Amino acid sequence: MPKPILLPKLGNSVESCLVAAWLKQPGDTVSVGDAIASVETDKTTVEVVSTLSGTLMKHLVDVGDEVPVFAPIAFIDDGSGDAETATTANAPAVSPRARHVALAQGIEVGALMGSGPNGRIIERDVLAAQMATKSAETDAKKLTPVARAMVESGHYVASTPGSGQRGTITKHDLRPAKPEPTAPDSDEVQTVPLAGVRKVIAQRMRASLHTTAQLTLNAFANASAMLAYRKQLKASDEALGLRDITLNDLLMFAVARTLPQFPEVNATLEGDTITRSRGVHLGFAVDTPRGLLVPVIRNAHTRTLAGLASDARTCAAAARDGRIAPDQLTAGTFTVSNLGQFGIESFTPILNPPQVAILGVGGIALRPVQVDDEVRFVPHLSLSLTIDHQVLDGAIGARFLQGLARNIAVFDLLLAL
Amino acid sequence: MPKSLLIDPADMRKRGTLHAPEIPLNAYVSDPVAEALKYGSTALVRMYRDMLMIREFETMLDRIKKQGEYEGVTYEHRGPAHLSSGQEAAAVGQAYHLTPDDLIFGSHRSHGEILAKSLSAIHKMEAVALVHVMERYMDGDILRVVEDYSDSTEQGLAIDFTLYGALAEIFARKNGFNRGLGGSMHAFFPPFGVMPNNAIVGGSADIATGAALFKRINRKPGMVIANIGDASMGCGPTWEAMMFSAMDQFHTLWGGPSLGGRDGVKGHPPILFNFMNNFYGMGGQPKGETMGFDVLARVAMGVNPSGMHAERIDGFNPLAVADAIERKRAILESGNGPVLLDTVTYRFSGHSPSDASSYRDAQEVKLWQAQDALVQFAEYLVVNGHATTRVLEQLHAEIKGRVLLALRAASSDHISPRLNSRTGDIGPLMFSNQYKDRMAADEPEVLIPQSASRLTQLHEKHRFATDEQGAPNPKLKTLTYAEALTEAMIHRFYQDPTMVAYGEENRDWGGAFGVYRGLTECLPYHRLFNAPISEGAIVGTGVGYAISGGRAVVELMYCDFMGRAGDQIFNQMAKWQSMSGGMLQMPLVLRVSVGSKYGAQHSQDWSSLCAHIPGLKVFFPATAYDAKGMLNLALRGTDPVVFFESQRLYGEPERYVAGGVPRDYYEVPLGEPAIRRTGDDVTIVTIGATLTVAIEAARDLAQLGISAEVIDTRFINPLNYDTIIASVRKTGRCILASDACEQGSFLHTMATHITRAAFDQLDGPVTVVGARNWITPPTEIEELFFPQKSWLLDAIDDNILPIPGYASVRTSMEPR
Repeated sequence: MPKPILLPKLGNSVESCLVAAWLKQPGDTVSVGDAIASVETDKTTVEVVSTLSGTLMKHLVDVGDEVPVFAPIAFIDDGSGDAETATTANAPAVSPRARHVALAQGIEVGALMGSGPNGRIIERDVLAAQMATKSAETDAKKLTPVARAMVESGHYVASTPGSGQRGTITKHDLRPAKPEPTAPDSDEVQTVPLAGVRKVIAQRMRASLHTTAQLTLNAFANASAMLAYRKQLKASDEALGLRDITLNDLLMFAVARTLPQFPEVNATLEGDTITRSRGVHLGFAVDTPRGLLVPVIRNAHTRTLAGLASDARTCAAAARDGRIAPDQLTAGTFTVSNLGQFGIESFTPILNPPQVAILGVGGIALRPVQVDDEVRFVPHLSLSLTIDHQVLDGAIGARFLQGLARNIAVFDLLLAL
Repeated sequence: MPKSLLIDPADMRKRGTLHAPEIPLNAYVSDPVAEALKYGSTALVRMYRDMLMIREFETMLDRIKKQGEYEGVTYEHRGPAHLSSGQEAAAVGQAYHLTPDDLIFGSHRSHGEILAKSLSAIHKMEAVALVHVMERYMDGDILRVVEDYSDSTEQGLAIDFTLYGALAEIFARKNGFNRGLGGSMHAFFPPFGVMPNNAIVGGSADIATGAALFKRINRKPGMVIANIGDASMGCGPTWEAMMFSAMDQFHTLWGGPSLGGRDGVKGHPPILFNFMNNFYGMGGQPKGETMGFDVLARVAMGVNPSGMHAERIDGFNPLAVADAIERKRAILESGNGPVLLDTVTYRFSGHSPSDASSYRDAQEVKLWQAQDALVQFAEYLVVNGHATTRVLEQLHAEIKGRVLLALRAASSDHISPRLNSRTGDIGPLMFSNQYKDRMAADEPEVLIPQSASRLTQLHEKHRFATDEQGAPNPKLKTLTYAEALTEAMIHRFYQDPTMVAYGEENRDWGGAFGVYRGLTECLPYHRLFNAPISEGAIVGTGVGYAISGGRAVVELMYCDFMGRAGDQIFNQMAKWQSMSGGMLQMPLVLRVSVGSKYGAQHSQDWSSLCAHIPGLKVFFPATAYDAKGMLNLALRGTDPVVFFESQRLYGEPERYVAGGVPRDYYEVPLGEPAIRRTGDDVTIVTIGATLTVAIEAARDLAQLGISAEVIDTRFINPLNYDTIIASVRKTGRCILASDACEQGSFLHTMATHITRAAFDQLDGPVTVVGARNWITPPTEIEELFFPQKSWLLDAIDDNILPIPGYASVRTSMEPR
């Protein structure tokens, strides 16, 4: 019957090893003492020898995997066992604890081989599988950039091992993430697991607040020109296709045209490196049934207003339908989040790392403005800019806001640029 | 083995003949004139009334049991009824001279004795005292019912109180004398000197002896009677009780200023073994069939030179019995007991209602009925002018009325409800759960001040195994487990004047394992003495001593000897608090030592046997800190504790609790296990000395990369599982180990609880490692029998978590 070979503890302080190479392949005959794999500790490379004689049936870990000590790495059939054990092998025993952990981590126990007594699947088998999956999903070395972006979008999960070179996961190895389980209707409470996009959002929001120094600046922009222009668009000839351009499109246009003057704001921070982008890759927050998504319009500063509006419409629809391509969700340099249509006066947007600034747009409200000797009520747009104070000082942010407000106030002139 | 008593070969080897004292048989001669003068008509008629009340009570029960009806009241009584019709004169004659201070302990057939002793006490007590008793007993639960229907005089009320309280007890009612938990065979009422009646044949012999011991040691007035049957003469504990009560040391060693005793302690306990000789032990016939004494009283000749002042008396004549009790009281009060009475009587009814009397001739019953004491004594009263037939008939009518009223109230579910298990009535009665520094207020009698005792010497020792640098302290200069126990004993001896300790080798030897070293110098004989090697009597007298109001610590040297005291531990010690319905407390600590090295009959851990019997607290310390802290706890409590110790540990210093064993008084919290080593991967739970093995196994596991949490159970009952379950939920793996044999081990009970509570967190079966299911082999090959370090590793490797790098010594841990 198949029995596991466990990764031995190769030193007092060793908790895990990297698999360097398999020295025996499935189907090979092995004897006790034969080296079957070589593994790397933090200090050296060691060979793992078989504690059983028989036929190597299966590798349970792949080259490059980080494997905790005592985890099973391979199964060897030692030729023992009979019909009865064969049947039990078909339905392996699973300890309650292992079952519990597997359920919580979404790991299929049926696919595991147990290292417990008589092949029982025990907790360490599940933890080992979980670690393998996790490392497969997140290890940058093992995903192609596209696959990585797709996985990070939250819409895809990787199946292991990868089909690329040395098990690298490519986009062909990705499968759509499981749809979120719909909770049953109940008058009482619903419990919904934190999973999928929601979990990604949760992690990102938390990471954002943990890893950046956020400072929010509030300002108002005179929206008269913008509103007047919008009125003109609404009234334009339908054949021009400009009627559907929204206030948000106008605003994004203004942002895209303002940002090139402020390269410090149109930037990202990764590690110790600040990357200032010449092009404006403008992200905008879209509320979808699965949660907040941020599609990115590439080179927004080069787009015409109509082009920008059309791109925004297409991206938002794709995001809502869940059709959006992963690369349309990454590599933004600045983000706009507009809650004005909900009657929100102003709010504190949370940075979308690695970006260093995000603009929150509130509603339009009349504000008293002194013109000569009289006070007039002029529609104003509320703007809130959150910046990463690690990179940007308040003055820079203020100057950007000031510039943006000025541009909005003279929106019609902006179109000429 | 006191040095003051010389065993001289010249005496021992001298030729001679042994002469036994003569034993009078039915020596009482009735003298109506003298009797009239001595007792007077009122008292004689009252004796008759009491006999008649017993007869009517038993007749009523007989009818209820067999016909389901008495005087128009129908009731089905499902419990037992061992009736004493025919034995009334023996009960009433005995009770006549007894005061409320005198105690009687009885048997399964003691309705008559309960009523007779109560009626006697009621007659002798002041009305104010009677009311006080009735109002205070069970917060007046019985009184409230009786007040509703009884006549107004205090004596009459008390009689109805007794009839109703006893009957409600027989009918298992909450208003019974013992909340219905004792029932027919156990009912008793301490305020009238009626102590537990015992359904184990002869069970009262040693308990009553313990009560007499309490009276002697604590200088309490009164005598104690064990009413036991003729068949109990075949029971070991009865003999053990007689041997214990007849020990020479009560005269040779106790009392006297040079021995530190005060006046009144010298002399034998005032115990009277009264054999209610009705000639049948259920269906067996001791005389002529199942025993060989011919006359029961003959046995007394073998007990001591006085032949226990034994007599056969005529239990069909209340005046013969009263006369005997009066004469024997004088002997007992002078410290010259014990006394044995062979009280001839006869039961007219069967052993129980189901008894068809197939074993005795109907003619024999008729012969005895022809001499019915009730008939004869009625004639005696009429003939000698103490009463008229009419008066006696009126008496009968009045008694019937009282019995009927008691029956109506006791058979009514409305007036007399039963304990309700849903509301948790019974569970809390299992233990008294009280803590008392002293059971009496007197100054404890000691020979030297506490500051001069061995305690001072012990306080100078190191209190922890190692010094601050971790180097081991010298063994002889470090306090051991045994000495930690000594400290607890000394502390309580100097606090509680009632505390006594006895057992095998307790005094001059200093306890077989040295736990009592230094106590002999501190304590007079009556507080610390050697008992005969009579384990039943050692524990049984302890039970009697404790339920009489004193604190006793009794010791059986080896745990294995519990077998000799099985009834006393499992049926008496464990049960009397709850069978009393919470009326009694039992501050009794039974010390037993788990041995090794001495083979199959001296090396067993029997804590599981005790765990199985509800009513016993069971402690098993495994460290010096716990030895003192847990014995302190046991010695302040009011509950029976079986206190397990380990001979593997007596010489061990404290190794786990930082700071070691405190010099000051402290207690370990009841029922709480202790975590001895923390870990994340596997929980090892131990009972007793196996802790040491588990700690060694945990060290090996650490080398193999597995972190083990080790928990010392400490308390077997009560046991709070929270700590253990929290640990197992964390680690997901659990093995349990102790030196008890695997089959039937308490560890399996623990395993079941743990599995149930932590099932979803378990990564493998909760696994029990016990000793092998063999006899304990000789010490040279003991390692084949007791759990070893490798067994624990094997248990983990085989059943729960295969350990890489561990080479299993064996292939299987199958129990057999």
